[in-house]
Amino acid sequence: MATMLTPKDFATATPSWWCAGCGDYGVLSALKQALAELGKVPKDVAFVSGIGCSGKISGYLHSYAFHGVHGRALPVATAVKLANRDLTVIAAGGDGDGYAIGAGHFLHAVRRNPNMTYIIMDNQTYGLTKGQSSPTSQAGYVTGTSPQGNPDAPINGLAVALAAGGTFLARGFSAQPKLLVDLLKQAILHEGFSLVEVMSPCVTYNKINTYAWFKENTYYVTEKETYDSTNRMHAFEVLNDDGKLPLGVIFQEARPTLEALAHLPELPITQVTLDPHSSDLNAIQDAYV
Amino acid sequence: MIVNNIEIMFGGQAGDGSLTTGDLIAGVFKRMGLEVYTYKDFPSRIRGGHTNYVIRAGERPNYGMADFVDGLVAFDLEAVEAHIEEMRPGGFVIFDNTSEVVPEHVKRDDVTWYEIPIGRMAKVDLGLELVRNTIALGALGALIGMDPQAVRTDVTGVYKRKGEKVVDINIRAIEAGENFVSEHFAQTPSGYALRAGIDGDRLIMMGNDAIGYGSLVGGCRFMAGYPITPATDVLEWMAKYAPRYGGVTVQAEDELAAINMVIGASFTGVRSMTATSGPGQALMTEAIGLAGVLEIPIVVVECARTGPSTGMPTKTEQSNLNHLIFSGHGEIPKIVISPGTVEDSFYLAAQAFNLADKYQCPVFILTEQALCQSKATLPRLDLSRVHIDRGKMVTEPVVFGEYKRFAFTDDGVSPRVIPGVEGGMHLAPGSEHNDAGVITENTKNRARMMEKRMRKMESARPDLPTPLVHGDPRAEIAILGYGANRGPICEAQDRLASQGVATRFLELRTLWPFPEDEVREFIENATSVYVVENNYTGQLERLIRYVVGPLERMHRVLKYNGRPFRPIEIIEPIERLSALRGLTGAQR
Repeated sequence: MATMLTPKDFATATPSWWCAGCGDYGVLSALKQALAELGKVPKDVAFVSGIGCSGKISGYLHSYAFHGVHGRALPVATAVKLANRDLTVIAAGGDGDGYAIGAGHFLHAVRRNPNMTYIIMDNQTYGLTKGQSSPTSQAGYVTGTSPQGNPDAPINGLAVALAAGGTFLARGFSAQPKLLVDLLKQAILHEGFSLVEVMSPCVTYNKINTYAWFKENTYYVTEKETYDSTNRMHAFEVLNDDGKLPLGVIFQEARPTLEALAHLPELPITQVTLDPHSSDLNAIQDAYV
Repeated sequence: MIVNNIEIMFGGQAGDGSLTTGDLIAGVFKRMGLEVYTYKDFPSRIRGGHTNYVIRAGERPNYGMADFVDGLVAFDLEAVEAHIEEMRPGGFVIFDNTSEVVPEHVKRDDVTWYEIPIGRMAKVDLGLELVRNTIALGALGALIGMDPQAVRTDVTGVYKRKGEKVVDINIRAIEAGENFVSEHFAQTPSGYALRAGIDGDRLIMMGNDAIGYGSLVGGCRFMAGYPITPATDVLEWMAKYAPRYGGVTVQAEDELAAINMVIGASFTGVRSMTATSGPGQALMTEAIGLAGVLEIPIVVVECARTGPSTGMPTKTEQSNLNHLIFSGHGEIPKIVISPGTVEDSFYLAAQAFNLADKYQCPVFILTEQALCQSKATLPRLDLSRVHIDRGKMVTEPVVFGEYKRFAFTDDGVSPRVIPGVEGGMHLAPGSEHNDAGVITENTKNRARMMEKRMRKMESARPDLPTPLVHGDPRAEIAILGYGANRGPICEAQDRLASQGVATRFLELRTLWPFPEDEVREFIENATSVYVVENNYTGQLERLIRYVVGPLERMHRVLKYNGRPFRPIEIIEPIERLSALRGLTGAQR
């Protein structure tokens, strides 16, 4: 590439369907910024999203974008990476997509550790279906499906991922673009499965976890002087603290990726020559004589 | 004396090694130049429970079980009690009488009984209970005239990786079996003999292995699956071979992940497949709709077993046809093909990937436990018959803005770029979209896009596997069926023909889009039509009616107890109904 691309080069002409003020705008713009700063080009980016307000993000990033069924972004993205390891693979979805209907895949993607990035855009509600409780909604959250208050405890996604063997865990806030761009860049550069949970307020349905609430209830882990993001115990501690939510890189470690362990060929599988008449293939039947 | 035509049933408790010995018997029959078909009838558990392995050998291929069992090798009374009614009069039973006695009321007097203390010989004489199977093999071989050298060669081949000692004790076990027969039963011949033919350059292969092999040769380089009987063999086969040819397999966390992985890999440009059975197929349904609307080529192998729910996981059935054709919310183009033999399993599997790529839609390979887990002899596979056609796949740069991933075309198929191609960036959305992939709810676009996608069903027709006509094409009696029933139907036809009853049989190899013209033409001037299938509701028969309308002369021949047809079960209803119509006499 002769000239560096700018965030605009990652924009599509499709008008957004998000509400004015939605936190998801901040996620999209940080992602475009991160990709441009990393020197990525749209043709080599595969972007897979789930269903929900957040899932619409794939329509707004100029790339090879895939908007699949609810909860299954991670299996799709994992396979895209296996099929062509040269691609930059990013998946994105909401708290419902990742921690409810797709929770099984979430655990298994974490443990497989493919070299890809997963952005969870957490608004703590089901926005597109008009404001039901989500797996990250606070207990007691009152909605149409939980008129007497949500009886379920919220999922602590990063702590779950840490226990499951996550190799890069970070949390950002969509209203803090500088931090978010930095986290996304680190995540994309990380060799392995990088999870970035972004607090992305729903201005229409979530009247509790608002921008103001997040400003009040978050802090940077780096504010803790002794915080060591390679220390699993430190990570458990801040993730399980009932107080404010930690932002920043919570945990990172090196572990072989799925691609390294899956005996992939040197070239992307997409480039493997298919020759049905090779003598090698023909010889397989000798084992059945 | 019955020569070169025998069905052996090897029955005992699961986990006692009878499957290995069943394979050995099949191998020896093949080596002796006979055509072999095997059928595994085992319980869905690892240890215990009655299991049996049917090995059929003859001078011509049969692809199915016979009417009767000729020789039963029973390691316990349960095996005798379960199968004594299936014995051919004049057949024989080898019974291990170490610890059980066959009660008089069970002991049919029209079969020959060879009671051998197999368990005691194994434990006491040879010191290893495990070799019971090999002793039985030796005795069986001596009774029916298996080539003793072939028996020894195959036993050595199977056990050599376990070391010389294991080979040695198994060879001694064969001798013990043979000697017992010559010492005690020299005066009671079994009535069966095998004469060695020529073992040409043939293979013996299981249906699922042929599907794996055909897929690999057909260019499949990605497979994701979740273990499920009777489909797991395909994933195991690919896991062994695909990496040697630049491919990869994933054991997914569930079928939802498996099918979405297949879609992801294919979106990226790699020929991809999964294999599952009914319960997994049900879970995959939503994502198959996604592949349909995104026009992503995928191949899904359905190894059918009995349903509903868990059903009988290791038993055969053809009750998933409706599910493959009609399941899913919304409407998508899809193709369902079904092989009738192990050999056809190979070629259809390879072809499935071309169909998927050319028409950018899900392609199902429908097979059943009775075929996919059965072994059969077959000629060497001819790889030169396989070619790879990736359809309208685009790997060269395109002009962004001009290129439309879902372009409206006459045949409904749009040029398909893969990630990494300059200029081809687009959104592939499960939501309705325009030709460029932009989500839209515009009514005109919706109608046009539906028509474009569904048009591919018609475009595909000339490419689809054609039905095969077996028997006398002018016969008044018409039979229709598919898959594993090819074998028993063809055999029933031969037997009916020898009684002077001519029949023709249309073996459907494509079930969707339904071959309307061929089926209509085939049954048009038939006096009576029989639709043979393994289910309760007559799913294929209903499909045919759906196409041709109500037809009084059409009859269902159904079986849904978990086991495949024996030819007599097809012959009898045809004879009965034909006699009622006075047909049999007219045709004699």
